[in-house]
Amino acid sequence: MNPLDRRSFLRKLGLLSATTAVCGVTLPLEAERAVRGGQRLVWKRVPCRLCGVGCGLLVGLESGRPVAVKGDPDAPVNRGLACAKGYHAVQILAGPDRITRALVRRAGRLTEAPLGEALDLVSLRLRETVRQHGKDSVAIYGSAQWSVTDAYLAAKLFKGALGTNNVETSARLAAASAAAGLRSTFGLDGTIGCSEDIDHADVFILWDVNLAETDPVLFSRLLDRKRANPAVRIIELATRTSRTSYAVDHSLLHAPHTGLAIANAVCHEVVARKWVHREFVRQHVAFKRGATGLGNGLEVEALVEEVAADVGWSDYVAFLEEYAPARVQELSGISAASIRWLASLYGDPLRKVTTLWGPELHQDVRGTWANNALYNIHLLVGKIASPGNSPWCLTGQVGAWAVGWGGAGCEVLPGGLVSREEDRRRAAEVWGVPVDHLAAAPGPPVLAMFRRLERGDIRFLWIMGANPLANLPNLDRYRRAGSREDRFIVVSEAYPTLTTDVADVVLPAALWFEREGMYAGGERRVQHFERLAVPPGDATSDAWQLIEVARRMGFGSLFAYEGPRQVEQIWEEYRRFHASPGQALPSVSELREQPGVLWPSVAGRETRWRYNSRYDPAASRARGDYDFYGHADHRAWIWLRPYEPAVEAPDPTYPFWLITGGVLEHWGTGSLTRRVPVLHRALPHAYVEINREDARDLGLRNRQRVRLVSRRGAVEVEARIDYRSQPPRGVVFVPCFDEGVPIRRLMLDASCPLSGQPDAATCAVRIEPLPAASG
Amino acid sequence: MSTTGPPSSGAALGLFLVAAGITAVAAAVVAVRRGLSGRPREPVAFRVPLPVAPRDPIRAESEVFRTAPGMLAIDPAVGPDRPAHPRTLRTVRFLRAFPGAPPVIPHPLSAEEFRTVACKTCHERGGYAARFAAYVPLTPHPERGVCLQCHLGVDSVMGTVEADADPSARCPLCHGPSGGAARPAASVTWRTTVWPRLPRVAADRDPPPIPHDLHYRENCLTCHAGPAAAREIRTRHPERANCRQCHLALEAAAAIFRRPPGIAPAESGGGP
Repeated sequence: MNPLDRRSFLRKLGLLSATTAVCGVTLPLEAERAVRGGQRLVWKRVPCRLCGVGCGLLVGLESGRPVAVKGDPDAPVNRGLACAKGYHAVQILAGPDRITRALVRRAGRLTEAPLGEALDLVSLRLRETVRQHGKDSVAIYGSAQWSVTDAYLAAKLFKGALGTNNVETSARLAAASAAAGLRSTFGLDGTIGCSEDIDHADVFILWDVNLAETDPVLFSRLLDRKRANPAVRIIELATRTSRTSYAVDHSLLHAPHTGLAIANAVCHEVVARKWVHREFVRQHVAFKRGATGLGNGLEVEALVEEVAADVGWSDYVAFLEEYAPARVQELSGISAASIRWLASLYGDPLRKVTTLWGPELHQDVRGTWANNALYNIHLLVGKIASPGNSPWCLTGQVGAWAVGWGGAGCEVLPGGLVSREEDRRRAAEVWGVPVDHLAAAPGPPVLAMFRRLERGDIRFLWIMGANPLANLPNLDRYRRAGSREDRFIVVSEAYPTLTTDVADVVLPAALWFEREGMYAGGERRVQHFERLAVPPGDATSDAWQLIEVARRMGFGSLFAYEGPRQVEQIWEEYRRFHASPGQALPSVSELREQPGVLWPSVAGRETRWRYNSRYDPAASRARGDYDFYGHADHRAWIWLRPYEPAVEAPDPTYPFWLITGGVLEHWGTGSLTRRVPVLHRALPHAYVEINREDARDLGLRNRQRVRLVSRRGAVEVEARIDYRSQPPRGVVFVPCFDEGVPIRRLMLDASCPLSGQPDAATCAVRIEPLPAASG
Repeated sequence: MSTTGPPSSGAALGLFLVAAGITAVAAAVVAVRRGLSGRPREPVAFRVPLPVAPRDPIRAESEVFRTAPGMLAIDPAVGPDRPAHPRTLRTVRFLRAFPGAPPVIPHPLSAEEFRTVACKTCHERGGYAARFAAYVPLTPHPERGVCLQCHLGVDSVMGTVEADADPSARCPLCHGPSGGAARPAASVTWRTTVWPRLPRVAADRDPPPIPHDLHYRENCLTCHAGPAAAREIRTRHPERANCRQCHLALEAAAAIFRRPPGIAPAESGGGP
């Protein structure tokens, strides 16, 4: 791989000698380095890609090799701090088993092949499959870590050139309900406030999010805020006691899946105590009722189209009757007094309140509704879209918003929706394809897509930078679907994963800043990054692979991007989809100059608080302080969203709630972070956390192995008692980074019918202790 | 790039001799080159950027004057350098993946300590910890609350070892399960840069400049004074607490400091 220069030769000697148990031989190397001198690092700005916060990092490059990291003091999100993942992130590029050559399955085995040959095969199979089975028999499943430009190219190739809406990404698993919640309440996606809210808020309410582990840098900023102003309160609603719980002022434990009911109860109390901001509600809010009985997405084919019925204030008050705190106390386990206290914090006109929530709330069969319900609280008390007053949905993925804007989702086009004719016309015009070539019917959301693969309606699937066959719920079902004989699976990846196991072709992928691109983190911040490192071997960017396949398919004229400014050309083309002020994107040169720009950005002016006419250039001052321009009536919509029980709750056979989620050390399915020595050594394997009393009843000891069994499958895993978090009785927690403990195998493949986001956070399990000898 | 398996003992000896030979030659070459380049030439310019004072008072200047209670306390019975585990620059590097990386935690934590991130109980105050038979290094940024956000330990002893467990339980953390070297932060396929060294200055007695950046490490004394400081970088005059009166940051390091927001560039006197 690397030429064996003198330094690496000496280094190898050093290693060799170390293994033969001699110390001190590395000294000459040290001495040589000293002579060559250090201090020649070049520091370059890069957004971190290992969660949804989008921290600005400075990567130290020595002769083009990334050798060190520090937090970027200029980055508005993290202000110079990072977390263990960020500090060690450059090592994700250098795992020992990095895929550097194309692999093609021959006689059942993946064997190395020239990249050009593999791309020929991919485009041949793509063309053949379309010819034999129609354009809807091919699909692409991308990554929420895609650069916006990658997502845009995938949408252009599949939606524009091939004419199918079979385009999905892992953003569907992380953030679809967040996006659908924003779209239904405000008419547009993209969060309302920004990280600056943290400097203004007096009360933070963390709603089912273990912020200390999933978004550690944001959590540190919350604690900084509290240190600067001891009157600040941080309150947590949680389904288990975690590291976050120990650092916050109050932790309120509740049963899984009851967040929506608690939010409605808070609204009930706000209304009953007359804490409603009447002027705000009269001017800026409309009330809507949607359909109920939407099912649980277990066998759906497409997203449910929401039909909004106008209702009035009295209907809303009547709807809330059911959610008296005393009733919700029985449902959720949070005391009525606590609910009233929460409501009083939201209702106090002198306190600014910021609510944060994350994937645990989105990953629910009623995820979209739960998002709506949290916006309802903020809308009722008028604490929204102003500094410190912010409902903030976190996504866990740095590209989760952007890939949607870029058009990589079954129901979206760049800057619009496939179902809207004007959006299709604009896409056809920008892309230079006939408008009737674009399919008007939304494609299948992720689970439906894999069910089509199972049935054979989809026969060609290109998976890029994602690991669906490690993290789809009811995993084994979809692994079998992917392994079928006459399905052709292409995987563009940097490391071997459970997904590459079933691939017919593996294309080596460039990671992170091995290519140029743009991310857009949790606060609408679009960040550009240069290509700073050379990918190993034959590895190339996802964008390059898409363009090469498109050219081989005969779509070269649609993908005529050339030269080193390729990414800029793609971005400028994509920006044409964002011409309206409410969606305007910054130019590449604007992006290059600063650590990110908060979108929408009109004429160099970024938007810190959306819909606030003082801050948002797209909001009209004629409408008062706020203009919710996403909906045609310029109002934000309060939806009447009833609580419905979980699809699968514990019962005598499967008596425990299983919760899955993230840990600080790892991200996603661990395919990157497990290749980083510091992170891997800190947490090499998944575990199941069990309440101490439950463990006693089961006769379990700490670190004994158990089998977790659900209706769909089982895994063996080590039990931990009073470890980093403590679940309440009847709840167990398993992190999902470890492919050796494919916990998603146990989950139910239900999904939110409105957003298509799978319910991958909770299900019912039983625990079978294994003989202590084996553990 | 694949590494071979462990060689047989005869081959190992042969390899070792070859390796040792080549290493010796390399060492000699390096030593000669170093000697040549170390000859006194013109004063210093020597690739070292000129030391510059920060253009404005840095955020935590006052912190430099703060000495944590107990920081300089030395248990009269125990010298600062334990023979078994002297804390030296080698230790400092051993625990970090690259210069400036947050060090990993080389000792066990009880479940309670791990869950509640109780690190500052010891690391904010310093002093002698009988539990580890060692002086406690101080954190230069005690204002940061969630230590485990950046500093990770090793799973096998995190949150499971009782606080009063046998200290020998922690040996494998650094020495590997079989006693060999296992650098907690090392990677076989990734290497970092040169560790910062003191650039040579015009005269021997000049106060050396600061060779690393100061982000989250503005309080010099936490690492450079007291019994827990690494031997080579322990200051001989801890009583002179205003370090940057004499020791100036290199330009690259100083460049991270910013004027407080609200001051227009014109008022700040410009600068490069």
